[in-house]
Amino acid sequence: MEVGRVENSRIEIILIMGLMAFAVRALPQLFLVGRQFPDSWDRLLRYLSYAFICSIISVTLFMRGGTYESHAAPSRGLALAAAVVVAHRTKSAVTGMLFGTLLVLVFSWLR
Amino acid sequence: MRSGLRLRQGMKAAIPIWIAFVPSSLAWGIAAQAHGMRLEEVVLMSAWVYSGPAQFAVLAPLAEGKSSLQVIVAGFLMNLRFLPMSTALAPYFHGVKRLPLLLSSHVISASSFIVPYLQFQKERQSDAQDFAVTQASDGYGNLAFFLGVGASSFAVWVVGTAVGYGVALGFPAGFEEVLRFILPGYFAGLLVVEMRGWAMPLVCLLALIVAVPGALASPGWGWLLTAIVAALLIWRLEEWKTRASKSS
Repeated sequence: MEVGRVENSRIEIILIMGLMAFAVRALPQLFLVGRQFPDSWDRLLRYLSYAFICSIISVTLFMRGGTYESHAAPSRGLALAAAVVVAHRTKSAVTGMLFGTLLVLVFSWLR
Repeated sequence: MRSGLRLRQGMKAAIPIWIAFVPSSLAWGIAAQAHGMRLEEVVLMSAWVYSGPAQFAVLAPLAEGKSSLQVIVAGFLMNLRFLPMSTALAPYFHGVKRLPLLLSSHVISASSFIVPYLQFQKERQSDAQDFAVTQASDGYGNLAFFLGVGASSFAVWVVGTAVGYGVALGFPAGFEEVLRFILPGYFAGLLVVEMRGWAMPLVCLLALIVAVPGALASPGWGWLLTAIVAALLIWRLEEWKTRASKSS
């Protein structure tokens, strides 16, 4: 029963999220034709996106259930750093991700 | 006839986006399965929200059953970046009726914005005619090109998500650590590849560092607030630097 309740609310959240995303996409098409968005605001919105992504990368990798996973943080941090360096060098996010994933696998076997 | 041609042109121009969408949609499907989401939730989210970064940002809070307000606010703030994209595209659809505009706006994403926008700009520059005349006469043609890019990329994203979910089901037990790394690792790589100037790396680094202390101080909203503060701080710094360099 409890599980059903949670799943229903998940669907509801997804529907609300989608509705809001749709509003953000559709409203300029209807009401902002011919207007220009200030460059400075454009940059702020992009920076917000980058910051959210980095913030969630950090929380996803280093925390679980509201606690900091200190035992696994160094190896995951190292894998993330390696993924970033490889992606930067090869200009390929997939190659970086694959390299980082391989390192995570190696570390989990060593542990 | 012309719309059909423009639609095919758009689809052809979208091929690099499809290639980019395959790994990211697979990674999202795999991560969503690892977080315990159900297939219908995952497909619904990909089809209805259709925003890789926003889907990634809300995945953990959504799967863990955290405050719905937190998930919705995070998703909304992430999706605000569609405002300037949609605004920039709007003039090229001049003369198109409201319903097709409304329906097609759903497939606006960062990638499906850049390709048509650059194409329209190129066509505008190469067109010898008056720009206003071109815009008014070719709104539907431009919309067809945009749909060729946007709708086909959308389909790749949704199908890729479902396939990724299926792939994750085939992972043997003991691979949780790997599944957990795939999506953050991929997004970190994407950010690094896109990095330009000094402000973006600084925003990313600051947000990465302060997120954990923020989440420890406030498990629900900490990561969200620290990200907003990091973005605002660097944005203000950049504004200040730009003004200072103009005045000197």
